[in-house]
Amino acid sequence: MNEEQIKRLFTEADEAAGEPTFRCITTAGIRRQVRHRWLVRVAVPTSLAAAVALAAVLSAISVHTEGPQVQPQRIVSLEEQVKQLQARTDATFKLVQEVLERDRQDRRLAALETELASIPDPVKEIDRQVDKTAFILIYQADKLYRELNQRESAVAAYKEVIQLFPTNRWAAVARERLSQIEQPRINKSDSEKGEPKWQPRNT
Amino acid sequence: MAAMAKVTEELALVERFRQGDDSAFEEIVEQRAAEVAALANRLLGWPGDVDDVVQEVFVAAFLGLKKFRGESSLRTWLFTITVNKCRSFRFRRLGRLRAVALNEAAALESPERSGEKVVLDQETLARVRRAIQVLPQKYREIVVLRYLQGLEVSEIRELLGITDNATQVRLNRARKRLKAQLGNLLEE
Repeated sequence: MNEEQIKRLFTEADEAAGEPTFRCITTAGIRRQVRHRWLVRVAVPTSLAAAVALAAVLSAISVHTEGPQVQPQRIVSLEEQVKQLQARTDATFKLVQEVLERDRQDRRLAALETELASIPDPVKEIDRQVDKTAFILIYQADKLYRELNQRESAVAAYKEVIQLFPTNRWAAVARERLSQIEQPRINKSDSEKGEPKWQPRNT
Repeated sequence: MAAMAKVTEELALVERFRQGDDSAFEEIVEQRAAEVAALANRLLGWPGDVDDVVQEVFVAAFLGLKKFRGESSLRTWLFTITVNKCRSFRFRRLGRLRAVALNEAAALESPERSGEKVVLDQETLARVRRAIQVLPQKYREIVVLRYLQGLEVSEIRELLGITDNATQVRLNRARKRLKAQLGNLLEE
């Protein structure tokens, strides 16, 4: 078996497995993922490290204050450092919370957009229903005329379609049926020649 | 000439992205997502749903595109990322894939002999896919890239970072293994 035949066999096997599926990729979605990764890999560890450092400094201060030779200047400097670290930690936490909140909002928005996209257009849905109803009426009228030979009921049903759905394509069909039903009546007096196109099946 | 125009077009897209135009990246995604998904699907053994890998590939591309120097085509570059992502994905899901592979093997060992041609054809094609799937990674990759993605040997060499000779050797060995697995199918 040569290269081409192998290729053909493998391609056939590949095609038989079907097309792969994947979600739509957007830059906004990718940015969201990148931000999420950054949170997991950088922001959270940094915040934790800052918290650990803060705890260490606090512990060092408490050890120093318990000692006999505590220098007031040193304490002030350490307190300053603690404040700075605390401020930095607070800022990082705030940032993390903001990013998480934005991420949550983005995800909610994406979910809502997906939900919105899945809702069918109400106007189209109504059109579809109207079309279906008109079709059912035509179908029933056809049945009344062709199978049950109830001409009057059928005519009434066709007229109802024309009245209820004058712009629908089935109204045109109803008009055509009516004209076909009426035609033999007009022609009957003239002559008996020629069969009408639309007539009861069991007459 | 057409290839040259393609390269220029790709570089222009990358440049637009570098300058902060997100729509350039979306154009790249639109052009390449299907190919990347197809490659991932083949490398992962036709699981069908390759969403996670495709997303990972394009996140990596998004982060790395600014460093793209145009030494290879964008397609080859994306394929390299896909191959790497599939390797790590497969490694992470090794246990699960083994279980699936064993189930598939069991299913293939006891096929229903209905005698219908369609069923037999599907069985044969599934056998071919499984034969590729159970190849060692380095052979599977080369078979997929050569026969299913239709890449040239030079492109495969560039993509996998191996020599021409190594590429040929791997291809020959992969073919031998496939012949052993598929027997008469490759000898006809």
